[in-house]
Amino acid sequence: MKLIKRTIPLAMVFIIGITMFLSYYIPHEASQTHYVERMNEWYNIIVAFAFLLGLLSLFFTHYGKIKKKVDGWGYSIFVFIGFLAMVIPAFVSGGDLMIGANLTVLGWAYKSIFNTLQATMFSVLAFYIVSTAFRSFRIKSPQAFILFVAAALLILGKVPVGDLIWTTLLGWTGIEISGIVEWIMSVPAVAARRGILIGVSIGAIIISMKIIFGIERQYMGRD
Amino acid sequence: MLESLFAFVNKIDVASSVWVSSSMGMMLGGWLAAGLTIFMFSFLYKDNPFFKIAEHLYLGAGMGWLFQVSFFSVWMPKIWEPIKSGEDYLVLIPALLGLSLIAQFVPKISWVSRYGFTFVMGYGAGLSIPAELSTNFLAQISGTIVPLFSLGEPCLTGAALWGAFNSFLIFFGLICVLFYFFFSLEHKGAVKKVSNIGIYFLMLYFGAVFGNTVMGRFSLLYGRFDDLYKYSGSNYSYASIIIFFALVTFFVGSHFVDKKKKLKAK
Repeated sequence: MKLIKRTIPLAMVFIIGITMFLSYYIPHEASQTHYVERMNEWYNIIVAFAFLLGLLSLFFTHYGKIKKKVDGWGYSIFVFIGFLAMVIPAFVSGGDLMIGANLTVLGWAYKSIFNTLQATMFSVLAFYIVSTAFRSFRIKSPQAFILFVAAALLILGKVPVGDLIWTTLLGWTGIEISGIVEWIMSVPAVAARRGILIGVSIGAIIISMKIIFGIERQYMGRD
Repeated sequence: MLESLFAFVNKIDVASSVWVSSSMGMMLGGWLAAGLTIFMFSFLYKDNPFFKIAEHLYLGAGMGWLFQVSFFSVWMPKIWEPIKSGEDYLVLIPALLGLSLIAQFVPKISWVSRYGFTFVMGYGAGLSIPAELSTNFLAQISGTIVPLFSLGEPCLTGAALWGAFNSFLIFFGLICVLFYFFFSLEHKGAVKKVSNIGIYFLMLYFGAVFGNTVMGRFSLLYGRFDDLYKYSGSNYSYASIIIFFALVTFFVGSHFVDKKKKLKAK
């Protein structure tokens, strides 16, 4: 049983990991095109089923809430309503958002429900970002001052009123705020981003090797 | 049987797309969008049932959207059609590996799901090593270590000197940032000074990222206000205005009801 439960899955990780890794360095059509494309396709299929796992889990959770009539169970009904509000139109219109220049019923549902809710949910965060900024930008140290200045310049540089304020107050210097923003993004920010990326890449490579060689096994759960 | 079902669905599709393009469909869409937007924004006042309804609808609609994407972009074209046409039976392997994930719901055989997970982990790990090495490691280093001046071009012009300064600043900043992330050595003396400079570079970067995020969120906010303004017009029967005032009336009313209840309780 240990062979089926543990050894074969670990061997699968090793073989798939090593072959995916080597395929990058073997300059042959069979490896760099056929094998990698096939694996990409298989990965997409499995990920689609992984989504199904999440969906079923969500449904079980909300169905359980409705069944047990826990506090706020009525809201769980809206999860199913929202789901059906997208899925029924999708089946009616065959997954197409448009027919020519006209919206299908799926396109209509996407525009009126999903896109509206998604955009509003993220835009609400704008208010919280501002309140967070107010608290975190209290300048207590030189580092916090730099953080504040960079953020303020970026915000000012992207709105016409910021450009107007800059030109009125500091126009005499001959430096444009858009130039400063561009310089921040292409010089000091690049240095920090590269430092972070190098650190992240080393971490990712090490974790990947630990997974391939079976040192990291937490994703397998317990027996 | 299946053909008549498809023909029926096709008829509904054509009829529904005609309805959607009609003024009635547009207006209903406007009312729905305006209502959901205002319900979401109502959270800025306080947590309330309308926000919770919109929140749960968003969750369901998001899952519904992803479900139809999976169905029409993966399950149908990549599994069902190759098997039905008999051109590729190998897709059964990932389909079975994917189905094995569902075993998570049955504790006794939950270990079966390992087969699906191990494929994903092996694939991701194997792919990320060369990808990380080439794009995030070597490419970042080679992008940093560049000649300060170009051969055959004058060095003492303002643009050349400014370019050399910027290249040096990127190199210097990167070294300082790397020192900050280097934990094998105690941060004291010269190492501490260098890593402190690294913090300044990091703060500049985080500030810039924060500024960009704020502007991204605000552009979404302008979009929502723009839509609310559009739906407040006569061709949408003043949807935004009516829903907004209805919600305000509800909040005012519920405030007084709550106050009355509190007084009674005392």
